[in-house]
Amino acid sequence: MPTLERDELLAQLGGYLERAHTGFGTFVFLDGEAGAGKTTVARALAEIAGAKTLVLTGHCDPLSTPRPLGPLRDMAADSDSGMGDLAGPDDRYEVFSEVLARLQHSIRPILMIIEDIHWADAATLDMLTYLGRRIGNTKALVLTTYRGDEIGPDHQLRPVLGDLLTKPDVHRHTVEMLTTDAVRTLAGDRPVDAETIHRVTGGNAFYVTELLVTDGSVPPTVQEAVLARVGRLDEEARAAVEAVSIAPRSMEADHIKSLVGTPSAAAERALHAGVLVGDERGYRFRHELARLAVEDAIPDPRRVDYHRRMLGVLASSDDTARLAHHAIETGDPELILEFAPRAASDASRRQSQHEAVRFFAATHPHVDAMAPLERFRFLDEYQRSLYSVDNQATAGKIAVEMLEIAYHLADPLLLGRAHRTHSRAVWLTGATEAANKEAKKALEILEPLGDSEELVLSLRICAHNEMLDRRYRTGMAYCRRAVDMAERIGFGTEHAMAILTMGTLELVNNDVEEGIRLLERSIELGKQAGAPRVENVAYGMLGTGGGEVRVYERALDWLDSGIALDLAQDHDYGVAYATAWKARIKCEQGKWDEAVALAEEVATYDASVARISPVTALGALGRVRVRRGDPGAEKALRQSIDLGETGALQHIWAPLCALAEMYWLQNKPEKAIELLEEPLRRVLTTDTVWGRGEIAYWMWRVGGLPQVPDNLAAPFEMMITGDWKGAAAEWNRIGCPYEEALALSEGDTEAKFGALEIFDSLGARPAGQRLRRLLREAGIDSVPRGPRKTTLENPAGLTARQAEVYDLVGRGLSNGEIAERLFISQKTVEHHVSAIFSKLGVATRSEAIALTRENEG
Amino acid sequence: MPRYLVERTFPDGLEIPQNDVGAAMIARVVSNNTNEAVTWVRSFVIDDRTKTFCIYDGPTPESIRRAATSNGLPIDSISEITVLDPYFYIGG
Repeated sequence: MPTLERDELLAQLGGYLERAHTGFGTFVFLDGEAGAGKTTVARALAEIAGAKTLVLTGHCDPLSTPRPLGPLRDMAADSDSGMGDLAGPDDRYEVFSEVLARLQHSIRPILMIIEDIHWADAATLDMLTYLGRRIGNTKALVLTTYRGDEIGPDHQLRPVLGDLLTKPDVHRHTVEMLTTDAVRTLAGDRPVDAETIHRVTGGNAFYVTELLVTDGSVPPTVQEAVLARVGRLDEEARAAVEAVSIAPRSMEADHIKSLVGTPSAAAERALHAGVLVGDERGYRFRHELARLAVEDAIPDPRRVDYHRRMLGVLASSDDTARLAHHAIETGDPELILEFAPRAASDASRRQSQHEAVRFFAATHPHVDAMAPLERFRFLDEYQRSLYSVDNQATAGKIAVEMLEIAYHLADPLLLGRAHRTHSRAVWLTGATEAANKEAKKALEILEPLGDSEELVLSLRICAHNEMLDRRYRTGMAYCRRAVDMAERIGFGTEHAMAILTMGTLELVNNDVEEGIRLLERSIELGKQAGAPRVENVAYGMLGTGGGEVRVYERALDWLDSGIALDLAQDHDYGVAYATAWKARIKCEQGKWDEAVALAEEVATYDASVARISPVTALGALGRVRVRRGDPGAEKALRQSIDLGETGALQHIWAPLCALAEMYWLQNKPEKAIELLEEPLRRVLTTDTVWGRGEIAYWMWRVGGLPQVPDNLAAPFEMMITGDWKGAAAEWNRIGCPYEEALALSEGDTEAKFGALEIFDSLGARPAGQRLRRLLREAGIDSVPRGPRKTTLENPAGLTARQAEVYDLVGRGLSNGEIAERLFISQKTVEHHVSAIFSKLGVATRSEAIALTRENEG
Repeated sequence: MPRYLVERTFPDGLEIPQNDVGAAMIARVVSNNTNEAVTWVRSFVIDDRTKTFCIYDGPTPESIRRAATSNGLPIDSISEITVLDPYFYIGG
């Protein structure tokens, strides 16, 4: 096992070894719980010690009658140790002084490792005391390891520790638990959640490595190790340990008594043996993994019985999560139905959606026992939590179940709700057509019944769908009906949401500032109505809508605000989509490295996650590759388009245009025309000026636009109608350098040179090459060369100039003298010198000079 | 893992001394590459040392770019490549 995070410890121990060389010995107690990695550290030290050190190793064993001086016998058995003849003498003090003499007079320094001294026999403990007091003028490092958590107050090691630790040259070090980062490193490429593993194992190195090779169940090796420890306890203590193992966290002392009837001293004994630890409530296991190991080993009938009885013990408790845990463990459908749904609702209310989903999921197999209406409400809550944690696949299945019940009950209000819920779930899996049909169905069923909350919700969903498809007029019409009805019946939350939808429609199709105003108003209305989540959704709309209409700086702020809110509430769906949009904005701003980093966060498609996130992220990644001329562009863009094909056009017009751009740069305009034909027709049936503008522009670019459509975003329209100057100025104002350069490329020679500068500074190789070719073909000379590549800092090799400077530094010249010699400025010399230093890994001039001496010699 | 060909231009000419200093530089490049799971396979350097053609293995072109930035290396272009060897066809 690699020695993660142990470098500092090993460095210190290595330092003691160094001192041993010169005749100054050290005695070390190395403390660490079982599985922490003490043996690994000891072995690593032995390796560092190498051949020039004599390494002696001995072990203490948990035998019922330990061998006297057992570790010494281990060393004696090793023929290289020179300790062979020590096993003989009966007088132990003679033995001790002989050992000491060997440590003092050895030619090579000695590393003596004695492991597990918490199991040491009395004679060995005496020897350690003897040696520890006299270690100072030996040539040895004596390294002992022990489990500090397993030695109770009366353990025989305690007085030895107490005595020796006050002496000079005796030190205690601890092998700490691994951090989450170390777990991540150990996990490598494995698809595991490092945080969960760390939580369950407490960072215990042994548990971590074992858990990494299993599929998540308790590894048999861990179970054996844990049960072995428990097995060493007396019967009462073992019973107490079993009782504690069934609690999700810790168990109070009297509960243990109620459950297994043991006196409180029994749990205390388990505490002293290191199997349990105490906390403010009672007793628990040090590591979750150990708890699972013990619980798993309890035969099922007894285990289930414990859980059942715990429910009685906890009868007056209001900790619904705890009660639900026990109910679920009994496997009894009645008990589960009694306790789990409550815990799920509580968790959901607290915005602990992952926890809520666990409880919902545990209850779901038994829902048939619920009355249909109750079942419907349960499923409704369940799918809402699923939606929050972005598990859209399961949410969809639950929505279908809701539909079945609603039809069975033939209740129009429930039907309306079920269709609406199903509409959303279906939309999130990317099937927009189907989603729209569902939403309209809900409307059909509910309209005849007059004003109702369900009708408001359905109207708003239809408005939402029109907004998604960028249909301004029809969308606004639904919004107004929803707003009016919501106000009439006093449905505060939906009033806010309808205003939010109106704002979004305005923002992306019509009046940007009016849209922002409405969206900000919706946040207020949401707070007034006691629906704080409106704020999250509003930031999402402001951020993504703002990105679409290219008010970038404000959009990024809104996206960040939304992400912060969502993270605090376990709402994964919002975070992924907002991050993907940040990637897209950064791409359009020409900040390509940032765009890639953000896209990479999102771009792995998990089958249950809302598709629009990877569609957007892959679109941004693909576009960066197209513009840089890097490989993998088509692959990323095709993936994005495939994922988003059944969805709303607004999500895929960017990757479609990026692919068209790629064909244009590759001189395959006919492929671009074929690609954009249908999307162009579709987008022209909608009201989004930016979507119409971008698709129309690229169609024009490749020669496939018969006439200029109306209602296009200004800079795109200007480019198509030949106003390259106006377009460039507008792109510059908006902050899209690449598009600015595209516009300038259509201008006069000076403008074209300006475009080249921008393309070069962005690293847009294909566009730059194309423009250069056009200029050459037009007979224009003095085309500026590419950027001076040495503007990049610190190339790995010394450049010729730097080699010159280095040479003069080596000859002892000052920076000023070098500047004179080479006819360059002193500032330039200083720049070169600092670059040289960092390449050589030196910090001072004298070090650098020393290096040149080495090289010459 | 895909293989990439990276073209680089060093207007002042690439200088890597044939000694400890050069070896240390190379070692640092290799070490920084591992942070991005990038492996430098081999480079071809033209006569006046102003251009190199470098073969790399890496997960994505962006990882190649990040590794290059951390090592201060310029990039003209990145292409994904496969090997074509006459012996595949002529056989033996």
